Amino acid sequence: MNSLRNAVTLAVATFVLAGLVTSAGAVDGVTKDEIRIGSFGPLTGPVYMYGKLAMNGLEALFDKVNQQGGVHGRKLKLVREDDSCKPEGGIAAAKKLIYEDKVFAINGGGCSNSTLAAKPEIAKAGIPFVVNSAVADGITTPPSPNIFTTQLTATIESRAQVKYALEQKAKKIAVVAQKDAWGRSRYEPLLTALKEQSLKPVVDEEMTVDQNDGTVQALRIMQSGADVVILVVYPKPAAVLIRDSLKLGYKPVYVGQTAIQDLPQLQEQVGIPGALEKFVSITTIPAHPDDPEMSEWRDRIKKLFPSDALSVFNLMGIGSGMVVVEALKRAGPDLTREKFLQALGTIKNFKTGMYPGPITCNPPASHQCNQSVAWMKLVDGKPKTIGVTTLE
Amino acid sequence: MDEAGGRQAEDDRRDHARIGRGAILIFSYLLATGITSGALYALVALGIVIVYKSTEVVNLAHGELFMMGGFLAYTLHVMARVPYIPSLLLAVAGAFLIGIVTDRVAFRPLIREGLVSVLLATIGVSFILKGLARLIWGGKGDYLAFPPLVSPEPIRVGNVMIMSQQLVVLVAAIVVMLAFALFFKTTRAGKFMQATASNPKAATLVGIRVDRVYMYTFGVGAAVAGASAVLMAPLTLLYPDIGFLLFIKGFAAAVLGGLASVPGAIVGGLLVGILEQFAAGFIGTTVQDVSAFVVIMFALIFLPTGILGARGVRKI
Amino acid sequence: MRLLLGNRAFLVVLFAALALVPVVANQYTVYVGNLMMLYIILAVGLNLLVGFAGQLAFANAAMYGIGAYGAALLQVKLGWPYWLAAPSGALMAMAIGTLLAFPALRLSGIYLALATLAFAQATQWVLLHWETVTFGAGGFAVPEPDFRAVGLRASDGIYYVSWIVTVLLVIFAWRVVRSRVGRAMVAMRDREIAAQALGVDLLRYKAMAFALSGFYAGTAGALYSAVLNFVSPEGFDLFQMVLHKSMVVVGGLGSIVGSVLGAALLVYLLDVLRQFKATQEIVFGALLLGFVLFQPHGVVEFFRRHVPGWDEPLHS
Repeated sequence: MNSLRNAVTLAVATFVLAGLVTSAGAVDGVTKDEIRIGSFGPLTGPVYMYGKLAMNGLEALFDKVNQQGGVHGRKLKLVREDDSCKPEGGIAAAKKLIYEDKVFAINGGGCSNSTLAAKPEIAKAGIPFVVNSAVADGITTPPSPNIFTTQLTATIESRAQVKYALEQKAKKIAVVAQKDAWGRSRYEPLLTALKEQSLKPVVDEEMTVDQNDGTVQALRIMQSGADVVILVVYPKPAAVLIRDSLKLGYKPVYVGQTAIQDLPQLQEQVGIPGALEKFVSITTIPAHPDDPEMSEWRDRIKKLFPSDALSVFNLMGIGSGMVVVEALKRAGPDLTREKFLQALGTIKNFKTGMYPGPITCNPPASHQCNQSVAWMKLVDGKPKTIGVTTLE
Repeated sequence: MDEAGGRQAEDDRRDHARIGRGAILIFSYLLATGITSGALYALVALGIVIVYKSTEVVNLAHGELFMMGGFLAYTLHVMARVPYIPSLLLAVAGAFLIGIVTDRVAFRPLIREGLVSVLLATIGVSFILKGLARLIWGGKGDYLAFPPLVSPEPIRVGNVMIMSQQLVVLVAAIVVMLAFALFFKTTRAGKFMQATASNPKAATLVGIRVDRVYMYTFGVGAAVAGASAVLMAPLTLLYPDIGFLLFIKGFAAAVLGGLASVPGAIVGGLLVGILEQFAAGFIGTTVQDVSAFVVIMFALIFLPTGILGARGVRKI
Repeated sequence: MRLLLGNRAFLVVLFAALALVPVVANQYTVYVGNLMMLYIILAVGLNLLVGFAGQLAFANAAMYGIGAYGAALLQVKLGWPYWLAAPSGALMAMAIGTLLAFPALRLSGIYLALATLAFAQATQWVLLHWETVTFGAGGFAVPEPDFRAVGLRASDGIYYVSWIVTVLLVIFAWRVVRSRVGRAMVAMRDREIAAQALGVDLLRYKAMAFALSGFYAGTAGALYSAVLNFVSPEGFDLFQMVLHKSMVVVGGLGSIVGSVLGAALLVYLLDVLRQFKATQEIVFGALLLGFVLFQPHGVVEFFRRHVPGWDEPLHS
């Protein structure tokens, strides 16, 4: 009896171990019909647009690709995880995607602070990661072999803002910034960018994301005589500041960044007609949801998410997703993570129709795949791209 | 020498006058902005005090009731193009109903269980309401704009410019305060509510329908919150998280003024608003958000029941 | 039979299971298990203050943050080893927490809640703005503690350290509660004036309660900095405070095992909630509301009624 029991135990153990060995050989997240792509970002909380809506866009893209037969016969499946836009959320979401959901690659990163906190974990695991929303420089500098980004970084945006301010012949530049984690990831690079041009802000004011009144900030900036105000704030504080500045009769040039992308909506938020005459902002996606070219995406979003309307945040997810899909295609039917990363490296001058310029990934020197900064302004109530600068 | 000296003195006087005028202007703006932003907190605080006066409980979902009222009005007025006044009334009615549901669900079953349980139950309700709002309206944009009652252009009051909607909010806050102060002092229903708060058992004994009182109180508190939201939305914009910070500041203002005092809510709200603006103006905009909390923390040590609050009666 | 069931046995089983997690589960589960233990420490500490001593304080998350920042900054700025930095961080939190006993002498109920809430907001502000010391809003990375000497991965090493600390702190709380100190606190909770009349020195026991909960929260924070290898202000905000309170109430005020249960249950549920992706807020709110409505005395009440040998002497 004893020897029979031992024999059975040994057989079962071998079976189990064999199972473990074979599953270790297969690639995480890839089966013969499916590729699982993970994404993390805020699904709840005040900045859920950068997570949930970007992922909705990604899902719309996957829906389109799957309708056309998938990538080398495999359907794309999105696995979402919430990071609550907090570092601990980012670390937890990354660990879950890597070790429990076992996805093939990650395309996401909705918040700078959580993505930055998750970076060591992702770098350690070697899972391919393409960032679509977070702008913190530290994510791709210094570059990790498995992390790429299609989003502009805070340094790129800051340099572009300073360049624009100088082009407007600014004599005094004011800075208004949120001092939360989001604001800080842009504020420091902005001060550095100003210092590179031997400049200092003539006033440096703080606003909080929930602020309902900007009169004090407007007063101080007006008193300083600034002719250009660089805004490192979200749409609400920006709207409040512009409104209260107008109230005081103060009309400087305003320079925004990619957190303020929906200009018609900003105009509505300020309320006073003509408020955005001297307002420009950087946009990740020059296209506006109401453009005729976006009709196929409008329909797809409507079909998948009936209570939503197409927004710029959806488009951000779609643009980045296109790069991922292209790399998946180039990696071929025998898909591994190394091949995918190599394929990402071959993407040069790839046109997405979403980003203002072509996407070029240049490993190992640079994992920054997007170098084009598009400037937007409201003209006759419609957002218009007034220029695209490409940085080397 | 004398002429030059004379001209210099004149220049100095003119400069001083200009700086003086500038300083007065800044002071006027800080005060005006303090009052107008304080009115926002005062309206929120009023709703909190109304509920507290009769239930001795702070409804931690008050901010979300406020938010729902605003979104209801948005759906009616902006999306369905219902005219302003009917939208406002319907939104207030909707908020009233949600307030009654909150009473039924989070308060009435837990009356005997102690403050912490009720607080947590109302927190549960606040999450549910916020999540629902995000699901229903979240896909429409980040911060939704709401048209003001009159005009979006600023108007001149004295030597400062303010937004017309800010005046509307201030007037509304005072009107609501007077209405409720009178209500609590003079009407029978008001006295019932206060009686219920101070001794529910005795109130039941004298024939007051205590559960009805609680229910209507929650409803009215929510209605005030809803109305406040519609009036404030043009200034604060609408988004699912609008309730939270306004509630915290409104709660702080209510406690500062004395939680059971209706005039205290206004006093507290205006004080918080003015404190914030002066701190931002004289110290720096970095301290704007935290200044109110620091002052309240210390104020409570010297005035444990708030500025207009009754001297605490220790129940043995 | 008494040995097999009852609250002691439950604790033994839970901790035995937790000890096995790094051996059988993946790295994500180890991470969740580690967090569960930290929350057990947090909930037990907070229960001592709120459930046993009856102080409605809202500063626990701030103490958590002070412990984490203290431990992390001592390592990063002064180069202290983790074994020295961690207890120092906990002691810092304990010291600052004890200071809160002074306002607690004058304030109670909702007023103490607001004062401690204001303190928590002020702490958050300091963490965000005292950039020269705290690195500000972006937070900073903390080096992993070195466990190579024991042959363990850093994440497994800190898991076992957390396990040991959690077990010790739960046992300590268990004993405090059944000692003179515990009885004095409960007397204070139930009838402050009567306790005073019986010779219970309110300041002393309130200070002890605040010190203990501060120490527990600070210890959890010091461990947390090593689990995440990252410290930032956002982890210690009001939502975190709500979470701690929820664990204590859902588990059962005035019951040590209740807090262990509440923490374990809520961490598990929060992880399950991830499935709900965008509706997490609604489900969390509904769960919280449901628990408070159906088990207002805490989940531990269910066990007390149905499991023989389960005794809860000081359950409120």
